[in-house]
Amino acid sequence: MHPFSVVTLAIFVAGYGTARWDLVTRLYELALFAWDKGVISRSVQGFALLSLLFLVVLVPVQYLASLEADLAGSGSGGWDMPEHDGLMRVFWPADIERSELPGVIVGWKNSSLDVVVVAVLNHVDPKNVESALKTGILLRNAPHPTERISQLCGPRLSMSVLGLTNVGPDASLDAEPSWVKAVIDPYQRAPTIACAVASSVQIILFERPIPRNMQYISLNPIALALIDKEDARQPAASEASDAEEEEQEKLAKKKRQHLVEKLQQHSVIRHPPTEKDKVLPRIVNQVNWAWELEQLLQKNVPLIGTRPKRTLSVSERVVEQATTMRNYVVVQLWDFIILYVFPIIRAIFIFVLVGHRGAAEILLQILEWRPRPGSPALKDISATAQQVEIRLQQFCYWPMQYVKLRLRKNDWDSVTTSHPDYIRFYNSLWLVANDVIIGIALGSYIIDNAAWVSDQIGLLLQQYTVDALHSSIEWLMGWPAGLKLNKELALFLGDLFLWVIEYWAGCIRALQPVLPHIIWFIGFSSFGGASMPIAFSSDLLSLLTVHIYSFYLAAARIFHWQLTILLSLFQLFRGKKYNVLRNRVDSCDYDLDQLLLGTILFTLLFFLLPTVAVFYLNFAVARMAIILLKAMFDTQLSCLNHFPLFALMLRVKDPRRLPGGIRFELFDTQDRFAFDSTPTPGAPAQPPTSVIHLKPIPLSFTAMFHQYFRMGKRIRKHYLSPRVVFCLATGRFVPPINRRNLYSLQYSMLPAVRAGILEMWDALNSLPKMKRPVKVNPYLSNGGSARRMNGRRGAY
Amino acid sequence: MLTSAPHLHVRRPSPTTAEFTVTTRPRNPTRTQRLLLLAVGAARLVLALGAGLLLYTEYWTQFRHPSSSYRQSHLWLLPPEQHEFLLYNTPPGRLAQEIAARTPSWALVPLCLCALYLAIRRIHVEERLLVLRGLGIQTRSTPGTILLGWFGGGGGSGAGAGGGPTRFIPTEKIRDVLINEAFWGFGVRYILVVVVEGEEGLVVVFPKLLPRREVVEEVWRGVRGCLFDEGGGEHYQHQQQKDEKRRKVKDSNKRRSATGKKSPALVKEKGGEEVRNGS
Repeated sequence: MHPFSVVTLAIFVAGYGTARWDLVTRLYELALFAWDKGVISRSVQGFALLSLLFLVVLVPVQYLASLEADLAGSGSGGWDMPEHDGLMRVFWPADIERSELPGVIVGWKNSSLDVVVVAVLNHVDPKNVESALKTGILLRNAPHPTERISQLCGPRLSMSVLGLTNVGPDASLDAEPSWVKAVIDPYQRAPTIACAVASSVQIILFERPIPRNMQYISLNPIALALIDKEDARQPAASEASDAEEEEQEKLAKKKRQHLVEKLQQHSVIRHPPTEKDKVLPRIVNQVNWAWELEQLLQKNVPLIGTRPKRTLSVSERVVEQATTMRNYVVVQLWDFIILYVFPIIRAIFIFVLVGHRGAAEILLQILEWRPRPGSPALKDISATAQQVEIRLQQFCYWPMQYVKLRLRKNDWDSVTTSHPDYIRFYNSLWLVANDVIIGIALGSYIIDNAAWVSDQIGLLLQQYTVDALHSSIEWLMGWPAGLKLNKELALFLGDLFLWVIEYWAGCIRALQPVLPHIIWFIGFSSFGGASMPIAFSSDLLSLLTVHIYSFYLAAARIFHWQLTILLSLFQLFRGKKYNVLRNRVDSCDYDLDQLLLGTILFTLLFFLLPTVAVFYLNFAVARMAIILLKAMFDTQLSCLNHFPLFALMLRVKDPRRLPGGIRFELFDTQDRFAFDSTPTPGAPAQPPTSVIHLKPIPLSFTAMFHQYFRMGKRIRKHYLSPRVVFCLATGRFVPPINRRNLYSLQYSMLPAVRAGILEMWDALNSLPKMKRPVKVNPYLSNGGSARRMNGRRGAY
Repeated sequence: MLTSAPHLHVRRPSPTTAEFTVTTRPRNPTRTQRLLLLAVGAARLVLALGAGLLLYTEYWTQFRHPSSSYRQSHLWLLPPEQHEFLLYNTPPGRLAQEIAARTPSWALVPLCLCALYLAIRRIHVEERLLVLRGLGIQTRSTPGTILLGWFGGGGGSGAGAGGGPTRFIPTEKIRDVLINEAFWGFGVRYILVVVVEGEEGLVVVFPKLLPRREVVEEVWRGVRGCLFDEGGGEHYQHQQQKDEKRRKVKDSNKRRSATGKKSPALVKEKGGEEVRNGS
């Protein structure tokens, strides 16, 4: 302390003491009081105890801690020493401009030795770049909020200077040790990279996906279907048999899960993922952003540092005036449209849309109405109703999808979350357009030739559903294929069926005059898409073959009864009996008359069996043929409704828009070619380097048709299972596959719960207002020439 | 004759990156092998062209009979006269005509398609395993036919030409890499498997070739060394030493060839160093 201030302080204390003498005396009394009560001695004891504690416990603990820290430090390292393996990982854009000029590398630093290069800025000083990045100058004039960048490319992370390119060995004095020194050779794909703290280098070259063209890379295949809602839909209305199958499937799954758990316990050494492993998803995002960020950075490079300035020349001024004038006129016109014309059109459009939506809602309610919970709704029974329902659902979903896609424009192009939505939206639009085009062709053909078509259909109906059945039954009533049937029973059954067929033929004859009108109606409906007539014909087919269905049911019933009776009489024959209570076969003592009667009945029924079986087989085959026909119609419908047409087109046009994962390719490094050449003495020692190319895998065709494969598998499991064969053989009813099960495919493109009317209204009104066109000034800020006009822009 | 037993080839430019390739391509093809390969290639070309010509002749005779109105069609690049000349006046055309006339078309078309398939089939099988520390493991195998490499794999080009099914597993998801015993027919094979987090099946490395235990063991050591840094340094140093040796051998060979002498022993040693035989 300065002596003068000491004197000042002393004078102040003395003065204050004399002025407030009573304070001093009171302090003195307090001290005496404390001494009397033993306060001071106690506090001295406490102090001594605490210092002892400090010496005995805390000092050794601190010593140990520092020792341990040293140990750990030597292992993992900080900024200066290499990381635990000294592996430097550099993601380098392969399509970046390769110039031999010195430049500054800017990019993301995920950890000290793990960097993703975004841009190489030429003609700038690294210190200026660093400060510009910190103050956000380089991200100026960003079209969208810059928070999104850090949100997606890594929280608490911002772009920084990663190193320098093409610097001589002498200029590296001011560089930080962790900076990368790259030498770019314009004739080679990969730069040569050296880093003071790295012991080995991985250079991973990547072609930047262009976000404007909606290209991107992703670790997982793009999901073309909306989401897997199968589990949510399933349990409501699946039949007993399906439920049984599902039960088994679930059991198998559980077993497999158990095995997987067992396997996971077997891992010998657990390797906790390092920092580098964990950042891979973030790196994928950074790669996706690389193009757009580089554009932005290059645009803002002129803002850094001092630039040569000059004023505009006369001709430039003239051009500027002219463009200003033109822009003014354009903006005025545009404002007029935006203010007066556009809102009216928009309001009308929204009203129309919402009105349609209301009508659709009423129709959908009718289609989905169930008299009792659990009973089938209209859409589960009829193909037409289902087709209408799908179209209406799509109609309800499109505005929501459109709004979502519209909002995408307010964000950076590099945000990739809405790309699958885009593909889905345009796929469904395109399919509907296709459907309508084919439908118009088909419909006009049907309408023009309504009479001929209805004649043909009437003929076919008569021929196949009446005449063919008639003749086959008559054949069965004789001796079919040399089989000697029971004549009386065959005559009885045949007459019974023939009588019903006669009646049905009368019905069809009554229908004949109405048929042209029905055909005309179908033709007219096909202007709403070719899927409508197909769905109609599927429904018509089921309606007009009702008699075959009922014959099949009746024959199957009779056959099944007979078979059951035969089975139980056979037990009697063996002197046994089925015990219902215990669900087993017990032996039983029958009386003689019981046995006699049973045996006679058994013989009788056994000899009558072939006759019934033949009739049953006849109708079962007819029924199977109809099911096959309907399956064909359904396949056509599913192709028209959900073929991945847009995705296929994209796969051919630009596979990068349909990423199916990534793959790496190891390149031969240069030293293989430079085997015999000795390293030049001046150059820095090159750490072992591997050059790897990161490439996107396009989505495989199997993944595109995944839904179809699943549907095929489901159908196969339903109809080709041993259970179905057993049912057919014993005359039990073969349940048709649940429509809902079959069409999980159809619903994979639609949300499980459709948006309500109010929701749609809100969404449509939440669309951003139309903006003015971005100020077009072709002379001064046209993207392409901006880089070369750095100096001029500084002046402007 | 054309293929050899599966053997291993390792590329390891830096200690943190390695590529293990198991291939049935002969590693040092002898002159006869080279000639044979060339002959097979030529035979395939002839087979493909012949099958194509036969199919075309069949098509022409079946659907484009001179009586039909083929002259109106401009679908073909050549005018119809040229087609006729090609089919009726050249020796291969006449031969094809004869064969097509003698064989019924239900037999000819499937046979031709089979021949085409044979012509585009690959002879050698090659399977790769790429290990990148900090990124993951990638398995890859050559497709069965030449064409699938273009379409299926998305146009693989560059160093590892020929696409084929590729599977990349990030390190985060790798639970373990281990050698497993598996029954294969009546024998036991040792297979290298990757246990992937949250997946039901195991990923088998080299699923088509299933190389022998020595090879699998070496790959396993390499993978662990490269991925988890377990004694990987030694392996890499070993590799580097081998490289060094090879370089020396190469130099000495050069010198020798310059002086007109060549030591067969040294050449043999070089061959043994470069790849390790797994059979």
